[in-house]
Amino acid sequence: MAALSGFLGTNSGFGFAEDAKALAHFESKIRPVLVEHCLECHSIESGKAKGGLRLDDREAVLRGGDSGPALAPGKPEESLLLAAIRHSDPDLEMPPRKDRLSESTLKDFEQWITTGAADPRESANGKDGRTGDDFESRKQHWSFLPVVASRIPEPKRRDWAYNEIDRFILAKLEENGLEPSPDADPVVFLRRLSFDLTGLPPSSVIGNQPSVIAQSTTRKTDHRLPITETIDALLASPAYGQRWARHWLDVVRFAESNGKEANLIYPHAWRYRDYVIDTFDRDLPYDRFLTEQLAGDLLPAENDAERARFLIATGFLAMGPKSLAEQNPAQFAADVADEQIDALSRAFLATSLACARCHDHKSDPVTMTDYYALAGIFKSTDTRYGTWVDSENNRGGKLIRLPDLPGQLIPNLSITKKEVADLHAKLAQLEADEKAGREKGEKAKAEGRDLQLDFNEMLREALRILWTRGPVVGKLATVDENGIALPLAMGVLEAPSKVDSPRYERGELAHPAEIVPRAVPALFGLASEGAVPPDTSGRLDLARWIADPDHPLTARVMVNRVWTHLFGAGLVETVDDFGRSGSAPSHPELLDYLATRFVEEGWSVKALIRAIVSSRTYQQASTWREEAFLKDPDNRLLWRHSKRRLDAESIRDAMLAASGELDWSPRAGSLVAELEVQSAAMIPFNPKIPGDLDGSPHRSVYLPVMRDQLPDVLRQFDFAEPSLVTGKRDSTNVPPQALYLMNSDFVLAQATAVAKRVMEAREDARIDEVYRRCLDRAPDEEERKLVDEFLKAPLPEGADAAKESEKRWRDVSQALLASADFRMID
Amino acid sequence: MTRAPFSRRSFLEHSALGAGWLAFSALAAQRTKASVNASGLAPRDPHFPAKAKHVIFLTMRGGPSHLDLLDEKSALIKHSGKTSTTGRDSAGAKLLGPVHPFASYGKSGLRMTSLLPRIGEHADDLCVLNSLHTDVPNHSPAFVQMHTGSFQFVRPSLGAWMVYGLGSENENLPGFVTLNPPAGDGGARNYGSAFLPSVCQGTRLGGGQLPGLYAAFLKQQEAPGPPMKNIVHPDRSTAEQRRQLDLLRGINEHRLAREPHQPEVEGMIESFELAFRMQSEVPGVLDLKEESAETMALYGIGKGEDLFGRQCLLARRLVEAGVRFVEIASPEGWDHHALISQQLPKACAAVDRAVGGLLTDLKRRGLLEDTLVIWGGEFGRTPYAPGLNGRDHNHKGFSIWMAGGGVKGGMNHGATDEIGYEAVLDPMHIRDWHATVLHLLGLDHRRLTYNYGGRDFRLTETGGEVAKAILS
Repeated sequence: MAALSGFLGTNSGFGFAEDAKALAHFESKIRPVLVEHCLECHSIESGKAKGGLRLDDREAVLRGGDSGPALAPGKPEESLLLAAIRHSDPDLEMPPRKDRLSESTLKDFEQWITTGAADPRESANGKDGRTGDDFESRKQHWSFLPVVASRIPEPKRRDWAYNEIDRFILAKLEENGLEPSPDADPVVFLRRLSFDLTGLPPSSVIGNQPSVIAQSTTRKTDHRLPITETIDALLASPAYGQRWARHWLDVVRFAESNGKEANLIYPHAWRYRDYVIDTFDRDLPYDRFLTEQLAGDLLPAENDAERARFLIATGFLAMGPKSLAEQNPAQFAADVADEQIDALSRAFLATSLACARCHDHKSDPVTMTDYYALAGIFKSTDTRYGTWVDSENNRGGKLIRLPDLPGQLIPNLSITKKEVADLHAKLAQLEADEKAGREKGEKAKAEGRDLQLDFNEMLREALRILWTRGPVVGKLATVDENGIALPLAMGVLEAPSKVDSPRYERGELAHPAEIVPRAVPALFGLASEGAVPPDTSGRLDLARWIADPDHPLTARVMVNRVWTHLFGAGLVETVDDFGRSGSAPSHPELLDYLATRFVEEGWSVKALIRAIVSSRTYQQASTWREEAFLKDPDNRLLWRHSKRRLDAESIRDAMLAASGELDWSPRAGSLVAELEVQSAAMIPFNPKIPGDLDGSPHRSVYLPVMRDQLPDVLRQFDFAEPSLVTGKRDSTNVPPQALYLMNSDFVLAQATAVAKRVMEAREDARIDEVYRRCLDRAPDEEERKLVDEFLKAPLPEGADAAKESEKRWRDVSQALLASADFRMID
Repeated sequence: MTRAPFSRRSFLEHSALGAGWLAFSALAAQRTKASVNASGLAPRDPHFPAKAKHVIFLTMRGGPSHLDLLDEKSALIKHSGKTSTTGRDSAGAKLLGPVHPFASYGKSGLRMTSLLPRIGEHADDLCVLNSLHTDVPNHSPAFVQMHTGSFQFVRPSLGAWMVYGLGSENENLPGFVTLNPPAGDGGARNYGSAFLPSVCQGTRLGGGQLPGLYAAFLKQQEAPGPPMKNIVHPDRSTAEQRRQLDLLRGINEHRLAREPHQPEVEGMIESFELAFRMQSEVPGVLDLKEESAETMALYGIGKGEDLFGRQCLLARRLVEAGVRFVEIASPEGWDHHALISQQLPKACAAVDRAVGGLLTDLKRRGLLEDTLVIWGGEFGRTPYAPGLNGRDHNHKGFSIWMAGGGVKGGMNHGATDEIGYEAVLDPMHIRDWHATVLHLLGLDHRRLTYNYGGRDFRLTETGGEVAKAILS
């Protein structure tokens, strides 16, 4: 799940002297001891302050208790706290009546005090605001400082590095007395490369080019793999766009339904999905890509096709989860804007600007003023998400009508001309009913009658009209006068009037304070910061700010996202949180080198991926090495390639590839686009839709993504929660996954198909064939023996030999598809 | 998740001796304990000894009217019909006394609505909390807050925290089960694990419960679908599937023999073993046919709409089998804005027999002692009726009841003001209630923390006070 920590940073008041290291020392060594041994008697929470002393915030510690200040920063020998825990004064032994804390703990405290007693814990009455050293110091956080073109290190070992990336990695390994791992076995490496770039096993992507495989798995005399062509072939395959688009769809919380309390479908969301696939496919520069998503509607288009693409791109802002049951339109608008600000700041900047809705950000340099300046931008934006009013939905929404294009796909359903006429007639009747009801009420009021008795009936009638009219108006909005379905999209447009937002105390609409003019946050001194032109919402200015080559976050965040998908962990582990509550980069210079290079190479994602996978770092074996493991158990320094699990989509797609059932063509539209209902809760009643929401031979990126109604395979295998920005998915291993692999219709169908094809091979070649199909390799002797014994076991009594043989081949195929060899990338 | 602690070193030694995977297999067969840990469900000791080991949470969504059910206010009865002078959006609204009379129940003489006589039979076991309050008067956020402590952020649910804290008594079953959970009002959030290990999340049995109007239209409360997916192989017997799993195990152990130190692979091996055992245990637990006709009748099963009765019986079976936390949502909503005098009896009738039966059944089997039963909704209702012969949402004061699991029976705790609008005596915020529930389970809410993204999180955030007065 996405890091929530951006919301939750401790209320820190950092001084200049307190660097991250000192704080880390406090967090890892001091705080736990205070919590375990001291706070029970010395904190607000415990309700006790023995000896007048509290140890639960920095000021309280410095102020001290009845015996004076508890510590003197920098002077351990003058600090009572240290004396007490050392038991050096028999009258002051802490914790009381207990053994002395360990020597190493005492040393930790001594070091802590010597280095200035860094302590981020602020007292409850600490103040916030954009003044003072405290706020300024927040801007000194590494990720808010400009990207620095790094000097490329010169590691001692000269014959290892293939490219600059390797020199950064190797230098750091050497610094820590570690060696890189040997190169990966070529077959293992090719499988890794293929899954990483395309989400599919190599045989299925470049299977018809055996020369490429042969070539790329034979080392040259200098031991290098001649893989340039293979990398290019994989990057040029349509499978690449489908794979990497899905990574981006995780980040932008892509979904085809609203989720939350009114889970209504978004039948047109798939257009954005296809837009993202297309974008990665043709390697649209990332700065351009993000600009289109934030302000595509404001970009000049060369033709209708481009205009349509730009409009669809803004779907990013429209597909968030919304409180559709909300009755108050102002509250609804504020919440939609909030969700947009949250999603865009996390997705592009890995920072949560939305934290500042109710209070100045607790740890990052973002104020409420910054937030409400942004809120005005989105209040001046017309968000079109297209769900109609009904019993679940109080907030109907429009859609964007796309330009007509030749050959355009319109999967939503047309109706007959007669049906159009009937809908209009129904609408007219509803209008008439409503008018009659209103007149009746007014008449009764004029006559002074008590309406109390009629109230329930009138209410029922009003609701009937409201809830019947919604679907009628909603359907009519999706077809032309002849009933032909229109090309529609979710997205945003400029609102007719541009408005600034007040700042709301505690984020509550009931407490508006001063008006904050729309503006781009002035955080980094970039040209694009400050007030926006009065006649625009300001979205384009916001996009330009984020896409500014000098923005300290944009390129760093994106290269880190790409790195994460290739290594299993980011250089910054908290991929969605580069704020002060996030983690520090393991290789800050490398991160900046990659960010600089990314911008210089025209924000090309393909070029970035090519550089990384061409590195020797990426080509290392993943084998465990004890001496390295003991020094760096989490492999932060990359002494090997980390073993990873296949994600949900790769598991499913690789099974379809193994069975030969994979349909390479993109699925036209989406299952969701063709549904006639509005509520996702009704999907299980549609007999045409399989219970696992699958039943399609297309790649997994085309499966329907309805919030809280995910296809089984995605839900079971840690799919990204589609309501949250997710740069790195969970990787869990729970029994329902095993049950899915053992018993689900999908897996059994694929195993059956694999078996059928395997049995077409010569009898003595079948074990090789099943391994080749499922694992892209030949079995070793041990494996051959295991399978052979399984197949040759005596038949159960009365079993039909031919049928049982088919079943056994299916069981073998299924076992391989469920095996760790299949589910892991080495 | 905790990794299997079986000694990789000893495995290395065995394979180094050339015994290969067969030796490993034999070794692995002995380590039953290891599989417990691989599941992440190993029973863990509470922070301190406690009576409650299970929870059955009967969520009455929609906001049941405490003023008509559990909180009798003489002043409200006296002033019924007068214009209200306090409260949100109350301008001009008239105070409304209880729409059906209260009655005295049990030796304790506990006062409760006359609409819940079967539950009333257990009055001497009921601990009525009259001073709950929460942060917002809207269904979804309040419902989510009741379940996770927060409506702004995605947080683990109460059941997930319990499984995280105590593990499970039966590793062949999920630790937390939710039966036909409502698809709305936060949906899966209400049984999610958020950042806690995913093994803590609630396992949904049965289809989602449909939003009210659809249910009424379709005359069906439950979406179609099997109670639990993928629990049966369509054409292989248990023995045949065991043979296939042995092959799979052989393949996976061969991988381990090729390359040691792969905890992920060890985890996969264990999870297939656990899944295999779940497969044999779950269908039995879900099968109500084993129950006697008398028990079925006790829960009102077989008469008309009996989904809720079946769920209550299933809850007892799950608790008996070792599941920690079972949640059931009420069949009827309690959102009585209009026609409360007609609607309330229906909502009560829909739950009274089954809940009364559940309490009887738990008690006679000795399960009530270590099972905490909770009955309540996300908020209460206003003492005034804004125009519709019904009551509006009220988050400032409302009531729920708990029984068994170490709470005192036959008592009221806390109180609202004289007309029942706001909690004034021993007010109990949702956080305080969460702290109390955890305490009953032997868990200190301040110590039950999980470090996520560098910060220690807990269910009660920065607050939470245990209501000591209700502990038996």
